[in-house]
Amino acid sequence: MIQIENASRWFGQVIGVNDVTHTIEPGVTALLGMNGAGKSTLLRLITGQIRPTTGSIKVFGNEPFANPEVYKRMGYCPEIDQFYEHRTGRQFVNYLARLAGMSAAEAKTRTDEVLQEVGMADRADKKLAGYSKGMRQRIKLAQAILHDPDIILLDEPLNGLDPVGRREFMSYLHTLAERGKTILVSSHILFEVEQMTKSIMLLHRGRLLAASDVSLIREYIDKYPHRVRIETPQPREVAAKLIQLPYVLKVEFDEWRGGIELQTRELNQFFAFLPTLTTEENFTITGFSSPDNNLESIFHYLIE
Amino acid sequence: MAHEKAPGVLSYARLVTVARISNLTVRYGNFTALDDLSCEIPEGCTGLLGPNGAGKTTLLKTILGFVNPTSGEGTVMDKNIRTDGMAIRQLIGLMPEQDCHIPGMTAVGFVSYAGELSGMPPADALRRAHEVLEYCGLGEARYRNVETYSTGMKQRIKLAQALVHGPKLLLLDEPTNGLDPRGREEMLDLVRSVSHGRGVNVIVSSHLLPDIERVCDRVIVVIKGKLRTAGTIKDLKKLAGQPADVELREPNLAFANLLMEKGLTVAPPKGNVYRVQSELPPEDLLRVVQRTAVESGAQVRGFETAVRTLEEVFLEALTA
Amino acid sequence: MSNIKPIADLSYRNYDGPLKKPGSRWWVIAKNGIRIALKKKALWFWMFGSAWYYLAMLVGLFFFQQVSSANPPIKQAMQAFLERIVWQDQFLHGFSFGQMAMLIISLMLGSGSIADDNRSNAMLIYLSKPCAKREYLFGKWVGIALPVFVIMVIPTIVFYAYGALTFREYGFLKDAWLLPKMLVIIPIAAMLHASIVVGISSMFNQGRNASATYAGLYFLGYFFTSLMGGIWASSRGETTYPVRHLFYGSIDGILIGVCKAIVGTNGSPPFGIQNPGRMSQVPAPNVAAILGIALLISVVFVLIAWRKIRAVEVIG
Repeated sequence: MIQIENASRWFGQVIGVNDVTHTIEPGVTALLGMNGAGKSTLLRLITGQIRPTTGSIKVFGNEPFANPEVYKRMGYCPEIDQFYEHRTGRQFVNYLARLAGMSAAEAKTRTDEVLQEVGMADRADKKLAGYSKGMRQRIKLAQAILHDPDIILLDEPLNGLDPVGRREFMSYLHTLAERGKTILVSSHILFEVEQMTKSIMLLHRGRLLAASDVSLIREYIDKYPHRVRIETPQPREVAAKLIQLPYVLKVEFDEWRGGIELQTRELNQFFAFLPTLTTEENFTITGFSSPDNNLESIFHYLIE
Repeated sequence: MAHEKAPGVLSYARLVTVARISNLTVRYGNFTALDDLSCEIPEGCTGLLGPNGAGKTTLLKTILGFVNPTSGEGTVMDKNIRTDGMAIRQLIGLMPEQDCHIPGMTAVGFVSYAGELSGMPPADALRRAHEVLEYCGLGEARYRNVETYSTGMKQRIKLAQALVHGPKLLLLDEPTNGLDPRGREEMLDLVRSVSHGRGVNVIVSSHLLPDIERVCDRVIVVIKGKLRTAGTIKDLKKLAGQPADVELREPNLAFANLLMEKGLTVAPPKGNVYRVQSELPPEDLLRVVQRTAVESGAQVRGFETAVRTLEEVFLEALTA
Repeated sequence: MSNIKPIADLSYRNYDGPLKKPGSRWWVIAKNGIRIALKKKALWFWMFGSAWYYLAMLVGLFFFQQVSSANPPIKQAMQAFLERIVWQDQFLHGFSFGQMAMLIISLMLGSGSIADDNRSNAMLIYLSKPCAKREYLFGKWVGIALPVFVIMVIPTIVFYAYGALTFREYGFLKDAWLLPKMLVIIPIAAMLHASIVVGISSMFNQGRNASATYAGLYFLGYFFTSLMGGIWASSRGETTYPVRHLFYGSIDGILIGVCKAIVGTNGSPPFGIQNPGRMSQVPAPNVAAILGIALLISVVFVLIAWRKIRAVEVIG
């Protein structure tokens, strides 16, 4: 478990992270933010590559900076794409296994296991220079899980993978999470993050803007009332009925797709009321949805 | 949304073909990259999908006129891919996936240089470079050295250099690579506005299927060197019958059971969402669902005609 | 109602203007290379530096001419000087003493030309346009050769003009073919420098490394040539070793050889200094041989560049 308490880190005058406090629990957590928001800095703080200027970071109760005890329980899958290009994937992973302290025999078996798990067992004997992006990502993941760490940090892990690869990778991360590990994924691809987890940490200009379950966060965004789209061939009549509700703030007509879009703060009350329109008052409604109840909208609203 | 055109533009009943590939086979030594592939790429915005190493890359290179096919023919904008590579590249703009730029130049210098390389006279190239950079959203930053740019700006420059000579066909290879969510939205909006109503045809190659959904009207799926699926996104996503995805506030077993008792087919929920199959028209189905929800104490938060996601289309094509 | 819309539509519009056919891209590439190089201020310094011998001679001659009109003893000394000076050799010296600066100028113009492109994946851009690899290479080559030619030719012509007008009676125009000969030699030098720089640049990812390599090779050769020249001179041409051939075994040497061979002189001490008979000059090499070597080296390096320019996978 990772405990971050009022951690700040700056580089000269440039702020990396600013007063971040959060506890990262086991399971999959997503780290989101614009480029330059401080995600990489936070990852480096957690992996113990740098120290916070103020505040503290504790991994399993210990400071990670230059702490091999913590390193033994962490695996890091960075964004950068540099390897020893002239070696094969298997040799590379084996080498890292030896570096982690395993004996030659242990390293060999573990390398085989790990390559099997990431789906590279049949392709690991070619030189790294010829690998596609997806293969490189898998090798990175392989070296991160060599020592069966309890915490795995991944920076843009799905970059370059085709949809199949992505599915496999994500389901593998789920498997790891089910084994009780703490997985922190930093990514820009919001629709993928949505599929991976509901709990997010959103960084903006170094500050932790939001850290919680996605739906909970949405509830708290007061500035943007919930939007609801209703598809109906009787937009004006339905609108006339809905306007009478005190918690409906705004109704817009969508000329192009037909239907209406309204805003309300009380989602619960609204959806409790809605059945009466169709069941009791016999309006014709062909569909409805909440278009901004997804991660992308939340991101948009919070970051402006 | 798929056929939105700017006012005043005539709508042709027959779509003009931008590229036509017939029975194309491409071999690298023993490896067959494309296997007797035939496809037609019409006007508008087409997405190109395929697993890595399945021939997508080779197909793009073929369209650019770089590849000498083992057999088969192809034309891109009525130019033969075997013999008219140069002429094809005059009419195509490519936005490569990798980071690339000409060192030591400002954005304006770079884009106008790219224009001159495409054959524009220097004065036209400079004027047009400014126009295109403005369109791509680079304001004052265009006078700075390209090497100081952020990822988002570099992507825009790549798009600008692809557009500068007014190509009729634009090839985009992973256009949202490395962009943060806002940058991604802006890039997709840019691509969409260029491809609809401006007479520029676009082929987008990407692994991010929602990006393709947002920008393209049609897709082509290439797997193991063969064409597996092609069609408009709308058609491909349609599900047989008219199932509905019902989203509840929280999963409710009583609700599902009650629906089934009423004779509807209900799939096991994915999260809070139940897929309900019936022969009723949507408004009647909705009524039944609402009534059932009230009866079972569930709250319906969403009701939409179910469609396959593009990812499902792709995975189905893969396993077919 | 008029058709004028008060608000213009500034969204994307197509380009329907003229487009030139492929085949002329090399000039665009060359122009760009030259423009980038001209931005370097140090270049201007070295340009003057490359003409230092001519400048020195011009200043010296002019100065002494002015002084001698008032001073008879100096006038006599000047006359004697002017009568024995070999004008052709002055061009040889002007040419060869400027080569060091020309090396630096070539490196400034061209060491990064292909190396920087390698680093920044610029070939993706070039190849996705209607621009063939050969046009790219030719453009880069011209971008070095052309400025080098211009930088060398101008001082030569200026000095020739001064000499032709001022020293006609001292046999300046004895060899009517002198200027045309220089106009053949200078392009050969430009060709050699450009070819080698382009070849070496294509082997590296950073202009700096290419510069260091070529400069290193050049200086090694330069010392070698100087050594050979010294051995020959001190042995008064009586050494048995093939020093007279080894002298030309470096880039500096080759260029000196080309100049000597085409101008047709064995050389003499610079600045018209009197040769007390203790030193002698390495004789000119065979014209065909030295030209052949120059051409061969140029071709080899251009071929290296051709092979090394990765026709990158435009779609990764």
